[in-house]
Amino acid sequence: MTTEGWVFMIVSWGVIIGLNIYTYTRILSTKSPSKKD
Amino acid sequence: MWIEWGIGRFGGKYGHGTTPGMFHYLWNHPMAKYIGALGITIPFALVLYYTYIVSWTLGYSIFSLTGKYLAIESYQGMVDFLSAYQGKTSNIHFQDLSSAYLFFLITLGLMVWILSRGISKGIELLAKTAIPLIVLFGLILVFRVFTLGTPDPAYPDQNVWAGFGYIWNPDFSILKDSRVWLAATGQIFFTLSVGFGAIQTYASYLGKKDDVVLSGLGTSSTNAFAEVILGGSIAIPVTVAFFGLTRTQEIAQAGAFDLGFFAMPIIFQQLPFGQVLGTLWFFLLFLAGLTSSVAMAQPLMAFLQEEYKIDRKRAAWLIGVLVFFLVQPIIFFLKFGFLNEMDFWIGTLGLVVFAIIEVILFLWVFGPTNAWKEIMSGADLRVPKFFFFIMKYITPAYLFILLGFWFFQDGMKVLSMSGVPEENYPYIWFARFLLSGIFLVMIILVRFAWQKPHLIQRRVPK
Repeated sequence: MTTEGWVFMIVSWGVIIGLNIYTYTRILSTKSPSKKD
Repeated sequence: MWIEWGIGRFGGKYGHGTTPGMFHYLWNHPMAKYIGALGITIPFALVLYYTYIVSWTLGYSIFSLTGKYLAIESYQGMVDFLSAYQGKTSNIHFQDLSSAYLFFLITLGLMVWILSRGISKGIELLAKTAIPLIVLFGLILVFRVFTLGTPDPAYPDQNVWAGFGYIWNPDFSILKDSRVWLAATGQIFFTLSVGFGAIQTYASYLGKKDDVVLSGLGTSSTNAFAEVILGGSIAIPVTVAFFGLTRTQEIAQAGAFDLGFFAMPIIFQQLPFGQVLGTLWFFLLFLAGLTSSVAMAQPLMAFLQEEYKIDRKRAAWLIGVLVFFLVQPIIFFLKFGFLNEMDFWIGTLGLVVFAIIEVILFLWVFGPTNAWKEIMSGADLRVPKFFFFIMKYITPAYLFILLGFWFFQDGMKVLSMSGVPEENYPYIWFARFLLSGIFLVMIILVRFAWQKPHLIQRRVPK
């Protein structure tokens, strides 16, 4: 894998993992969605 | 994603979990509800063939566990294995369709059972169980791939890092190729379930003040984690490590089926605990597929429950019976291109057409200010206004261009049945007739539903 490849992979993984941590932290800190049967 | 979540929650406020009702409120025109019928037709037609494909992954999971394909060491051997499983040919592994049929019935039974249990006890419970399992199995497989290194020292170029390089080394020249943009859009539409009509149904169960911005972002980021980080670190790198770069490129270009059903079983046989890893891999795909099947069946469930007041269990059974009968030509005429034809009209063209309709109705007919307000209502995050511009102009323009490309690159060929063997013509026409028939039935169902007085009670307050 080239240096550019490593940069692309690490940046993409970082953005995705960061976004997941951010959204799930926000989701868990707010109330649960409504439920319906 | 935000547009669909917005439309869904908006429709839910007026008691509608499907697009006929949602579109009726977005656009004060008698046609709106009939256009909305597409939002039930597309997911239901998808369920028909998708459930059958999902059942293959269940079958392969069991075959991995029992070691049914263990003696097959060649790629062509696995091609023949799947071909016989699908009933296209007959060999020592499968003489008829009975295995495929059995796994399909199990998958369909599971889907009906989950649907009949309702949103909280069925779909939510499935998601809460399956998603962590998918992540766990995915992480185990990713760990195995990362620790694989160079499986055969005689071929030092064939290693996992060459596989990661194939995925991540940038080649900007390929961005000039329109097919790459088409393929990328198709991939993201399908994996996010955008343009299906399914997200709207899920979003309709949210309350007025629930956050659709955060929910949409959560859906997209979770999907990116699963497909880019987990998916991207398993199949391609491991295939490069065992088959080499050139062969992997050929396999990958032939489609995801080739990679998943032909290459992976060969690789698992060469790994310690390969049977266990193979079982995990196919069961992971099965769980992911099952959650999607249930999501795609839910719009019709919601429609029958809300507009026809059919109780949950009966609606689930009704869908199960319908799927069972309508899937028969897909199973038995697979070798004549029946499934591929349905997939073109629904899984390729249908998603884009429906997405264009949604964007225009929500952003242009319902009004950009109303749409933006609807999305932002109850939002924890402040979405930059830049996205308003993207939703209103860029998204529809991009989708129209995409549709044009599709029409000229694939649409014309499909319409004229270019490259289709003449003996397959009746089956291709039958597939088109079946899809048209399903759409027509949905339109008639919408028409009858709208004749009931209890339904449309009020217009959207200005």
